[in-house]
Amino acid sequence: MVKRIKKIIFKVYVVCLMTFTVWYGYFMYPLIFGFEGKEAAGLSLEKAVFSGSKEEKIFQQMAAEKVKERKKTDLGYRLIDQPYIQGRFHHIGFTLQQDKANICMRCHGNAPHTESKEIRAFLNMHSFYLACEACHSVPGDGEPPWQFRWYDKNTGKLSGNPRAILEIEDSYKQLQTNTENPVYGDYGLKISPVTTESGKASLLHNEKDMAMVEEYIAERDQLSADEKTERNNAIHRKMSESPVACKACHRGEEPYLPLADLGYPPTRLGELINSPIVAMLRKYDEFHMPDMMKPAQEREK
Amino acid sequence: MRSDGLIKLIILTVVMIMLYGQDTVVLAEDRIDCLICHKYRGLSRVDEQGNFRLFYINNDLFMNSPHRRNECYECHTDIKEIPHDKVDKVDCTQQCHIVEPSGDRYFSHKTIAETLAKSAHGKLDADGNPKPHQEDYPGCKDCHDQPLYRPLSAFKGEAKHGVSMRSISRCKSCHESGNFAKDFYEHVTSRLHKTRFSLEITEVCAKCHQDPEFMKRHELDDVITTYKHTFHGKMLEMGSERTADCIDCHVVEGENNHLIESKDVVTSSIHKDNVGRTCMASDCHTNASPNLAGFQTHVTYDREKYPLQFYMLVFFKALMALVMYFFLALIFFELMRRLFPKFAFFKDNTPHHFADLGEQDQQDKEDKS
Repeated sequence: MVKRIKKIIFKVYVVCLMTFTVWYGYFMYPLIFGFEGKEAAGLSLEKAVFSGSKEEKIFQQMAAEKVKERKKTDLGYRLIDQPYIQGRFHHIGFTLQQDKANICMRCHGNAPHTESKEIRAFLNMHSFYLACEACHSVPGDGEPPWQFRWYDKNTGKLSGNPRAILEIEDSYKQLQTNTENPVYGDYGLKISPVTTESGKASLLHNEKDMAMVEEYIAERDQLSADEKTERNNAIHRKMSESPVACKACHRGEEPYLPLADLGYPPTRLGELINSPIVAMLRKYDEFHMPDMMKPAQEREK
Repeated sequence: MRSDGLIKLIILTVVMIMLYGQDTVVLAEDRIDCLICHKYRGLSRVDEQGNFRLFYINNDLFMNSPHRRNECYECHTDIKEIPHDKVDKVDCTQQCHIVEPSGDRYFSHKTIAETLAKSAHGKLDADGNPKPHQEDYPGCKDCHDQPLYRPLSAFKGEAKHGVSMRSISRCKSCHESGNFAKDFYEHVTSRLHKTRFSLEITEVCAKCHQDPEFMKRHELDDVITTYKHTFHGKMLEMGSERTADCIDCHVVEGENNHLIESKDVVTSSIHKDNVGRTCMASDCHTNASPNLAGFQTHVTYDREKYPLQFYMLVFFKALMALVMYFFLALIFFELMRRLFPKFAFFKDNTPHHFADLGEQDQQDKEDKS
């Protein structure tokens, strides 16, 4: 019995050594063959012994190119880690968080407004903390008004009012003593209309809508024009023809978005109603009404 | 022309004051209130070329830069009204309103542009003819983003990063008015060392000098990768600020940092007659022999350009792999034999078959008999 146990222990020991030998070979591989400049050297050697197809060369070239998306600036006492935007001179100083939860963003992107030259940047600024549905989807006739909630841009889960929004109020107070800018909009959250079923609130567009969009994106190249229109209509069924006007929210009495309920502090609310930008919008009413949702022919008229 | 723009700006400022509501907040150093709009983080659009353009200005960081004494319109000179149309690219060589204290004249980056034009990065060759691939030669923004102060504090003991309020308080004993003391303190102490961390300098150079297409067009080696292989590169990656980066070797000591010259130019810091002196610069290897610079710093594994080095690499890699994997395979099969002592592809019943087996196998044999 003892001999048998000894034999088993011996065999386990040998198996462990064999496993270690294989692992060691695997471990040493990148140390022997992996080095910076390997792609260039590999291509060079390949050129000497094997020309390779054009596609293979393009693929290898793509693999060698490094896409730099972030930039770190080390001031010694402070590290600024920010996204890298080619050609940008001024520092950003914060992370531009992508909205992964909103179905509209999958096709229209995070800066979807391009048409109205005078206000497209302002409208895109709103996209930073408002879901598209907040302005581009209004309740039908006879329907009760939407309820609005914050949702997480990353997960799509509904959230309470962001604590960071209160920092705006604090930063206003500090403005007398320093030059820092109030914190606007960097909450990681967005406001969206929600629907409530059996007491449970959910975003206007749910996982099924997202699946529909993903399926459309995957298949659109194979779809006929009619099929594309059909799918597009289905995806946009909850969207309104005309968006909510700016002054519907930027007003003191009964704003369309219940900003106070969404956590906006008093000073910021006052600014939203009386800000110079809103004053400009009132003054230049002709670029006040976005018409991007209308067909091109109608816009031309 | 200048006064016309000024009048427009005064009118603009008056209009903006009139537009201002009671509850709005005046931000310091932004006298014409560009931040009314540009303080919003999501202010952006996708331009006609499909590039994402962000118009947000981080005032906190801007106020930490040497440009903080400039108004926005002093660089963006074509903005005459709000809301403004698409703006032109900023011309860094234009004269700005700040009086340069050493010469009592208005400040401009024109002299730097002139120095750059004389360097390897200039768009014209020695005869004044345009070099090929003009679009590849850098402008200011290709290498520089907004510079930020990196002040040093050396009140007691070693120098450390950050502002010394004690030092500033001493300056303020005499220079009481405004931000004079702080501005000068930050400016001067930031210039006592590199205003950019060395790793960031190599990253800036890498934007072009590690771009495969760029290197191919200009027949250049991958100098960034080869730099990383050097002792200097390793030190830098470990966070050292005392090691040499690209500028330290490629600019003659005491010369303008923008004057980077080709190794073929006799005045270049890396010309074969000068490179020894470059290594012996005052902050580097002062007591070294000129032979210190006798090695090839930027040798790549390019078969056509450096065939000897390339085949040496292939040989040593192959040798290392052969030796390593031969012995690993030997050990593996040896262990396999321990595990299966009687295994054989072809049965051999002659008595010598078990002669070389280990002690354990001999024991097994005895047990069996």
